[in-house]
Amino acid sequence: MLFPTLTFGFFFLAIYALVWTAGSRDNELRKILLLVASWVFYGAWDWRFVLLLIGSAFINWGLGRLIEHSKATSFPRRRESISTEPLESHDSENMDPRLSGDDVGKNVKTKLLVALGVIANLAILGFFKYFDFFLGEIAPLLTEAGFARDLPLMQVVLPIGISFFTFQGMSYMIDVYRGRTRPASLLDITLLMSFFPHLVAGPIVRASHLVPQFQKVPKLDRGMVAMALLLIIWGLFKKAVVASQLSTSLVDPVFFDPSAYGSADLVFAAYGYAVQIYCDFSAYSDMAIGLAALLGYRFPRNFDQPYRAASLQDFWRRWHISLSSWLRDYLYIGLGGNRGGVLYVCRNLMITMLLGGIWHGAKWTFLIWGGLHGIVLSIERIWREAKPDWMPSVPRPIGILITFHIVVLGWIFFRAETFDAAITFIQGITGWHGAATMITPLGVGLVLIGMAMQFGPPRLMQGIALRLRAVPAPLLGLMAGAAILIIDGMRFEGVAPFIYYQF
Amino acid sequence: MAEHHEFESPVDLPKEGARKRALGWITVTIFTASLFLLVTNAFALKEWVDEQPASPFQAKLAAWATEWQDATDALGLGTPRTAVHRAWKEAEAARFDGVPAADQR
Repeated sequence: MLFPTLTFGFFFLAIYALVWTAGSRDNELRKILLLVASWVFYGAWDWRFVLLLIGSAFINWGLGRLIEHSKATSFPRRRESISTEPLESHDSENMDPRLSGDDVGKNVKTKLLVALGVIANLAILGFFKYFDFFLGEIAPLLTEAGFARDLPLMQVVLPIGISFFTFQGMSYMIDVYRGRTRPASLLDITLLMSFFPHLVAGPIVRASHLVPQFQKVPKLDRGMVAMALLLIIWGLFKKAVVASQLSTSLVDPVFFDPSAYGSADLVFAAYGYAVQIYCDFSAYSDMAIGLAALLGYRFPRNFDQPYRAASLQDFWRRWHISLSSWLRDYLYIGLGGNRGGVLYVCRNLMITMLLGGIWHGAKWTFLIWGGLHGIVLSIERIWREAKPDWMPSVPRPIGILITFHIVVLGWIFFRAETFDAAITFIQGITGWHGAATMITPLGVGLVLIGMAMQFGPPRLMQGIALRLRAVPAPLLGLMAGAAILIIDGMRFEGVAPFIYYQF
Repeated sequence: MAEHHEFESPVDLPKEGARKRALGWITVTIFTASLFLLVTNAFALKEWVDEQPASPFQAKLAAWATEWQDATDALGLGTPRTAVHRAWKEAEAARFDGVPAADQR
């Protein structure tokens, strides 16, 4: 069930009506309705994976409880003294001062439980995502070593969104351990992991952010819902018009056989993919944020004009923010973060980015993409440390230009089917030959629109939403209907799945 | 990788002076938009019905969707969508001077 389809439209209207009528007074009923709706949404792809989702939620809920219990029995007096005090903040950036991470959960049992939880989550992810890849890679080695035999390749079907809900569950459990969130009810955790707006492609919403919102029937305000409507329509435009058109008329054919195209086409296709993946993925996030807001819930921002970044570090503050902050908080800091010497920091950056790359899927090209980002982040880090004071900084426009082209180079590996295809693509660019046949006025227009989105006023949408909230509802309805009609007239026939569904 | 307003939500807007009813307002908006699309985009509805698995109910629905599209087209309500789509197809087919289409190389 894809967001930009009529099937989803009918589904959402039904859920919207249900939760704001039957679920408007009883919050538990409301959450149950949302949970069942989320399972129906996920089950539309494959009902078997709903069981996986439920199982994963059970594991994380159970371990969260056990970790909290273990902490309480390790520090009973401390726990008693704090249990009567309300938590004033659920913001995960502000760690509960009464449960500082250094003095809680230091006992072996608690750590073992956390390790067990991490292993269980990674085992689920590893089996579905990497099992066949791993066996496929070691098969030639075993053959060479004289162990030629059929390996049990299982043609494992990848459950949609597994990387997202696994990371969400894992962060909940670790946050309970670190004292950043209180253990939540089974219903809340299952809903946190299953909630359909973010279920298949994020944003990765943390328990500390969403569970407190689940505690009571939410209240809407006009600014929130005006922005929600705007995000949904804007996302529809980015996905159904810009991303789909660039994908079918430019990117897919050129990346399918790069050797058949000239240098100009290859360069244009690389730029086209940069715009396509931004419009595709940010469209999903926008629609997810908008849909959740119409149901009363606030999701965090996931994109912030990433191609206006003047360094790769800046890029990762703007691109897939929920993943980059997840990797920072649960991997990079766990490895030591910025502590230690510059080489130590570079090592942490490399490990984080390589694992971030492989998170996207079991392909060498993702690893190379992550490695490229890790190398450039490390170079930036070393340069910041070693740059003489007298040397002027790189002017911002130059920094943006360089960063954008490093990102585009990374996208070539990210998009290419194989490493060889990526090398063929890059060699084709540097060869500078062949006629340009894929550069069309519409394609150029769409790439320019995609780039203009990066350099417009940063909070333009909020400004529009502020004006829209004063518009009478029937007039706003006509405006929204007209916008959707125009988008539908422009969209490519059929809707391709979002790129990040495969992750 | 550094902290950068990652828990800020795009739907957080400055509060209005006087709190106005939001649920009724957005519900009327959604209802109006749906009604508008029902009469101006019968094409999409018919396309969607045709894609559903065949069954006696689907056949009835398809017949109704066809009638609905014919009726709205007769009133000229489908014209804006058709015009936008035609213009879009023309834009898709446009080429820069001297550049052949991909299939004519």
